[in-house]
Order: sequence, then structure tokens, then C-alpha cells
Amino acid sequence: MSQVQKTIGDTLLKVEGISLSFGGVKALADISFEIKQHEILAIIGPNGAGKSSMLNVINGFYHPQEGTISYRGEARRRMRPHVAAKQGIARTFQNIALFKGMSTLDNIMTGRLLKMRRNFLWQALYWGPAQREETEHRTFIEKIIDFLEIQAIRKTPVGRLPYGLQKRVELGRALAMEPELLLLDEPMAGMNVEEKEDMCRFILDVNDEFGTTIALIEHDMGVVMDISDRVIVLDYGRKLADGAPDEVRADQHVIDAYLGVSHD
Amino acid sequence: MMFFLEIVISGLTTGVMYSLVAIGFVLIFKASGVFNFAQGVLALFAALTLVGLMEKFGLPAWLAIIGTIAVMIALAWAIEYFVLRHLVNQEHIILFMSTLGLAYVLEGAGDILWGSDVKVLDIGLPQGASDWLLDSYGLYVEKLEIVAAVVATALVVVLAVFFQRTRIGRALRAVADDHQAALSIGISLRTIWIIVWSVSGIVALVAGIMWGSKSGVQFSLSLIALKALPVLILGGFTSIPGAIIGGLIIGVGEKLAEVYLGSMVGGAIENWFAYMLALAFLMFRPQGLFGEKIIERV
Repeated sequence: MSQVQKTIGDTLLKVEGISLSFGGVKALADISFEIKQHEILAIIGPNGAGKSSMLNVINGFYHPQEGTISYRGEARRRMRPHVAAKQGIARTFQNIALFKGMSTLDNIMTGRLLKMRRNFLWQALYWGPAQREETEHRTFIEKIIDFLEIQAIRKTPVGRLPYGLQKRVELGRALAMEPELLLLDEPMAGMNVEEKEDMCRFILDVNDEFGTTIALIEHDMGVVMDISDRVIVLDYGRKLADGAPDEVRADQHVIDAYLGVSHD
Repeated sequence: MMFFLEIVISGLTTGVMYSLVAIGFVLIFKASGVFNFAQGVLALFAALTLVGLMEKFGLPAWLAIIGTIAVMIALAWAIEYFVLRHLVNQEHIILFMSTLGLAYVLEGAGDILWGSDVKVLDIGLPQGASDWLLDSYGLYVEKLEIVAAVVATALVVVLAVFFQRTRIGRALRAVADDHQAALSIGISLRTIWIIVWSVSGIVALVAGIMWGSKSGVQFSLSLIALKALPVLILGGFTSIPGAIIGGLIIGVGEKLAEVYLGSMVGGAIENWFAYMLALAFLMFRPQGLFGEKIIERV
């Protein structure tokens, strides 16, 4: 797969000196990095390296003891989840967090909640502007459903879907928020080769067509090297390396800590 | 025949009163997956506050009701601030335990603030039998129970519209399903919790007014929550229409059982009929009549 030539923009998000610990366990130690506009950034590292914690700090699930998070130039000590969402940060979860009782359609529709502007009294009456608005959102959702090729499961309660499709619905919900920054926590975990290829295609297309910035955690090195513009390596809560995929692959620290001896 | 009809009507109206309490449970269960043990005490607390405002401050009924609604909203805020906020993403059982504690705190607070003696609640609701029904059909129906039925119907319509149609309703369902996911799409858990506890506090006030007008405001009011349990098991914990129909079935069922079967087993069926019915449901249809079927992948 060849990298499409694209323009990486200015810094969208910057974390500086982030330290996070749970009791005596240090999850993150003095981590700093940037996420630039339009790039696909991969965060890799062995289990327990602090990758998910890092995403949780960015969208405000965890509050670091030290450090600052600057999003669109605005620096703050900590994020709050609903504020992060309002400002255009969407995410998916390692262990899939969907609304299991709702259909695929309803799940993706919840991603539009923040975009709904009409007063709830109007909505209650389902009349005039509120009805028009609902239709607009529905149209948008249908586009996402087409894009992710999940037309057939539109009405299925997501609890019944196989794992791979659930991951896709979760991505759909995140996309419904029209995010500027998309955080994906192991989007391809537990998928077969075919599903992985589909997911890769979706991620690249989202990045390409909507210019969405993407930060993802992934264990499959093949995938990481293929789709990302830049790779950050974490190990025991510290940052080991930060650079283009080829540089990182050649980095001796990384090889020692993570990739192990080369397999040639 | 007239006798049978009278029993059914009396059962239906009692059932409506059960439903009023059950709806409060359903609201909080829908929005947080938590069985709110404090719901009965909430009704007691609301009724006590209402009586207190009328007696101690001499407020007219309508003003006292508005005042009580304000108190219930403030209470919802306080519960969120002091209890729920600290329990985000915890197991449901932990949240349940916290409502258990809340029940005791509220009960004590009600006692300290308004005293523990039995109080008469009179906000001017009609009392006694409906003359019209008595004269023209020979039916004995309490006026208060008719009012309760009308109020419950109105309440259900408003709540149904609120939950089915509005953005807030959708957000509530999302929060009930998965806290993390709800947060990630920009729902503020705190706002949602304050809203749902306020609404549930107001429903508790309605239940408190009805039961208080019927049998006085006293500690035993908080025990009607126990009667709401079988109603919930029948109707399903997540369904407001289910709470209504469950209430009606239990109300009618226990009255009929008392009258027609009571003599065979020596009476007092009314006291345990609801629980037996609930037990039967638990064995054959654990999600209730209208509850969401639980799907689990293994």
C-alpha cells in the first residue's frame, strides 16, 4: 500500500508533561507529544504500556496529576468528557461501548445528540422545525451507514451483532459526531484478515475524504506500518520513540523493548 | 354483577396508586440502571415537606406544591453532588447500596425537619364517594381515586412524550445503557442525573399527595415502595406503560382474589397475592410484560 500524498497541518492537540498514577502505580510518566491536523497517528507499545490511559486522558476520562493538554491552542489541566465531545473529539473503545439494547440506527443516531438544536418542547410535539431537523439528521446517518456498508443490520439490536460489526457500528457512532479528532482504541482487535482490511479502508477513507485527524492504538504491526503517518511508542508509561513508521521500526530502543529481535 | 364491577373498579383505582410509585422507580432505573431503594422514602419526604410548608408556614396548597417541587429539584441536585458524582462507572450494586443509605438519611431528615407524628394532608382534593355514580348506577367509587386515575394518566402521557421524542429522552436511554459510551458522545452524566432525579422526585410528590390524602402522611407511606416491587416485576423495570398495567393487574388481582378465594384460605390474600404473582412471573417471564429482553452473548 502506498502512502497517499497529503498535507499534514499544524498542531491540533498537544500534551505536555502528562503524568498519571493510580495509587502507587504509575501509568504515564512525563509524556509529551503532538497530534497534527489530518495525520494518522499510531500509538503502540506492549500491554500495560499506558496507551489506553493516554487516550483516556485526552478525552477526559482520566485526570492526570501533572501536565497540560492543549486542544486547538487552548491549554488546560484536564479535559472533561462531554466538553471534549462538544469540541470535536470522538472515540471508540477497546471493549466496545455500544448501547446494546438499541438498534444500529439508534446507536449511530445518538452520535447526533450534540448536533440537535431544537428545544425539547418542540421535539415533544414533533412538529415543524423539530421534525425537519430529525429528517436532516436521519439523512446524514444514512450516509454513514452506506459508507460503512452496514445497511443490512440497520434495525438489528447491536447486542446481537458479531464482534467485527459491533466495532463498525461504534465507528459509525463516532463519525456521526463529525469529529475533528477521532480516537480509536484497538479498532481491529479480534478481527479476521478480511475484517481488518475493511476497517483499514474505512480509517484511510475517513482521513482522506473528511480530513479527520486520527489517533489509534493498534497491536498489528503490519497495519500500523501501512496506514499511519507517524508512530509513537510507549513502554511502562514512558515515551520511547516518536517518528515516521520506518524510523521507529529502525530505532534500537524500540526493537529492544517491543519488537524483539528482527524476524528475517 | 354490580358487586363484581365494584371490586374491579376498586382494584383498578388501588392499582393506579401502586403505579404512581412504580413509575418513580422505572424513571431512575431507565436512566441509570439503578434500583432506587429510596423511592418510597422520596414520596414520604415530598409529602412531609408539602404538609410542613402548609402547616408551619401557612402557605396555600398551590404555593406549597411549587415550593415542594423546588425542594425536590434541590434534593436531586444534592444527591448528584454528594453521592452519584463520586460513583460514576461503579458497579450497579454499589449505586444500589448508596440509595439504601440515602433512604435512611432522607427518612431521618424528614423526621428532624417535620416531626414524626401522623399528619393530615388536605390540599383540597375531593373526598368521599362520587354521588353521581352512586345515585345513577349504585356504584361506590371514591372521588379521590378518580382524581388519582386522571392524574396518573396525564403523568404517563407527559412522561412518555418526554422520553420517546426528545433529545433528553434519547440521552437518558443512552446513559442507562452505558455510562462510558454516553460520556464519549458528549452527554453530561451530571445533568442527566439531576434531571432524572428531579423528575422522579416530582413523581414521588404526586404519589405522596395521593397516598397522603388517602391515609395520612406517616412513616408507613415509605413502605408502599414494597408494593411497587411486584408491580415492577410484572411490568418490567424499564417500561412506564408496564408500570401502569402491572399496577392495574395487581390492584384488580388482589381484590378479586381476596373476595372470591379469600374465604377458602382464611382471608388476607390481599397481603401476599402480589408477591406470589411476581414470583410466578420471575419463573416464566423474568423481563416482565414489557421489559427489554436481556440479550447476552456468551
